[in-house]
Amino acid sequence: MQYMLVHVVDDELAAAKPWDGAAPASLEAWLDQTIGRGVNLHGSRLGPASDATTVKVRRGELVITDGPFAETKEQVAGYDLLECGDMEEALEWAAKHPTAQVGAVEVRPLYGDQPPRSLPELARGKRRYMMLVCSDPAVDRDELGQITPVEPWVEEMDGRGARRFGSQLDEPARARTVRVRDGQALVTDGPFAETKEQVAGFDILDCADLDEAIEVAQKHPMARHGILEVRPFWPFQED
Amino acid sequence: MALSGGLSGPALAGAFRDEWGRIVAALIHQFGDWDLAEDCAQEAFALASQRWAADGTPARPGAWLFTVARNRAIDRLRRAATYQAKLKTVAATAMTEGTDEGADEEVPPDEGAVPDERLRLIFTCCHPALAMEARVALTLRALAGLSTAEIARAFLVPEPTMAKRLVRAKHKIQNAGIPYRVPPAGALAERAAGVLAVLYLLFNEGYSASAGADLVRRDLCDQAVRLATVLVKLMPELAEAKGLLALMLFHRARQAARVDSKGDLVRLQDQDRSLWDSAAVEQASRYLAGARDQGEVGPYQLQAAIAGCHASAPTAGDTDWRSVAGLYGQLADLTGSPVVELNRAVAVAMADGPEEGLALMDGLAGAGALDGYYLLPAARADMLRRLGRLPEAAAAYREALALVRTEPERRFLEARLAEVEVEF
Repeated sequence: MQYMLVHVVDDELAAAKPWDGAAPASLEAWLDQTIGRGVNLHGSRLGPASDATTVKVRRGELVITDGPFAETKEQVAGYDLLECGDMEEALEWAAKHPTAQVGAVEVRPLYGDQPPRSLPELARGKRRYMMLVCSDPAVDRDELGQITPVEPWVEEMDGRGARRFGSQLDEPARARTVRVRDGQALVTDGPFAETKEQVAGFDILDCADLDEAIEVAQKHPMARHGILEVRPFWPFQED
Repeated sequence: MALSGGLSGPALAGAFRDEWGRIVAALIHQFGDWDLAEDCAQEAFALASQRWAADGTPARPGAWLFTVARNRAIDRLRRAATYQAKLKTVAATAMTEGTDEGADEEVPPDEGAVPDERLRLIFTCCHPALAMEARVALTLRALAGLSTAEIARAFLVPEPTMAKRLVRAKHKIQNAGIPYRVPPAGALAERAAGVLAVLYLLFNEGYSASAGADLVRRDLCDQAVRLATVLVKLMPELAEAKGLLALMLFHRARQAARVDSKGDLVRLQDQDRSLWDSAAVEQASRYLAGARDQGEVGPYQLQAAIAGCHASAPTAGDTDWRSVAGLYGQLADLTGSPVVELNRAVAVAMADGPEEGLALMDGLAGAGALDGYYLLPAARADMLRRLGRLPEAAAAYREALALVRTEPERRFLEARLAEVEVEF
């Protein structure tokens, strides 16, 4: 069973470099352990919320907005995809991750079965983006009718190498969130923030630039019903 | 305008206005680094302020400045630890060994024309993935060369706030991968409309600034006109750019007449038309004709055409209201805006009489799209007054007064209400 660990920290901290307070040494150890045991399929730090762009289509018009899908004090700062026996095991790993000490780790099961795969190398001239597929309660579902199936989009984007991985997530009610304070792990039910908009799935995109990522997002069926947040992976090479 | 870096002299001020954006755009294109581009452009102008006073202005100031700035950039990259990495991206462009030696001492003579990459810069600064306020600020910094302090003053925010806004926007361009290019044909029309919206916002910021406001704020109008002129030159196929430039020029032509000695706004029909700038009107008319000749109608062109009808009337009474009403009709079809419909109703009333205007306004009031908008009852009141239906006019003025938010408009409505109350 695969679980997505969504790392959330205060946005100021998320934008800081190096990642103060999150103890890089313990992050190294956590990665050594999870990768060493074959638990960690892939993961990355993401660019700060100020580098995010949301994409939606309303009444046939493309709407592009600067910033993340929801204005929360804590912001998504990274993710890891784990292959675990059950939720308890995933929560144990989450509690050991340094972000659980400075922020929180939301653990969400992936919907349905996925073969455990790692991500391919990033091709030259491409950039990697996390696309969060979010619900938008402001959209009247009845008015728009049935949601178009996502499969043709997946097929098209996989085919042209723009989509590298992706999955629907189990419903927010099945999420658990871990915070470690004073050495004590506190596990709460539900996602990290009580926002109207909720993450319903994600896709990892390899695109030439933000314009291509926006075009890919715009074509996703959820662009009409929800909000797509496109966020760059943290650049490997800082200059 | 006060330029940063202690620049002085008319030749230098002119070069700054004409060349800054061009130099920054070309440097970003070559080196992919916004801060490097701005810093080196700044240094080139600083050097010019020393040299030109002593040695005279070079034959081609733009080429002189670009050569110095580019050599500074290469020099800095050489010294930087990441030189090797950067060199790979620079290698493709024409960088020759040795051009940088003693850039401070020996400025090579003119080296061909400065490549004009400003269109890339305009589209990148106005990218829709940036916040609107960031687009405006970046455009003023990178293309017009305003300093962070000047932009902060113009938008009435503290300088650190503006500095942070600019830094975040540049980070986003770099980290999120906003491309430095003119969008491909499929997206060009939509993105060009976005660029025009930024320039129009810039113009309106300056236009709405009061006479007493900071000079840099009023100067925003000139910056917007200048940038729109550049856009018209670089994208002659874009009819709406000409339309927007014409609109700005028509408005600016009336600037001296639109505020009275007390600082109150003067309505169009009451303005002293001898104060209008006839040269600007003529220039605007030429751009409007150019847009019209391209056979493509857009909202800016229509608004400019309406402004043109007013500008070409020697007195308010000479206004061709039938044309104005027709243009508002076209604009309403294009935008679906009820405010435009209201303007059309006013023009119809001027052309065909208050009864016709009132019928259209009553239709608008019934539709409810302008509920809470004081100008609708105010316009209805005016129709009723002219029809001699004074008690109804008074009621409509009171309705408008309950909704009005600004003081000069309130004073105007109160005066009108007093007039009709005296008469019945």
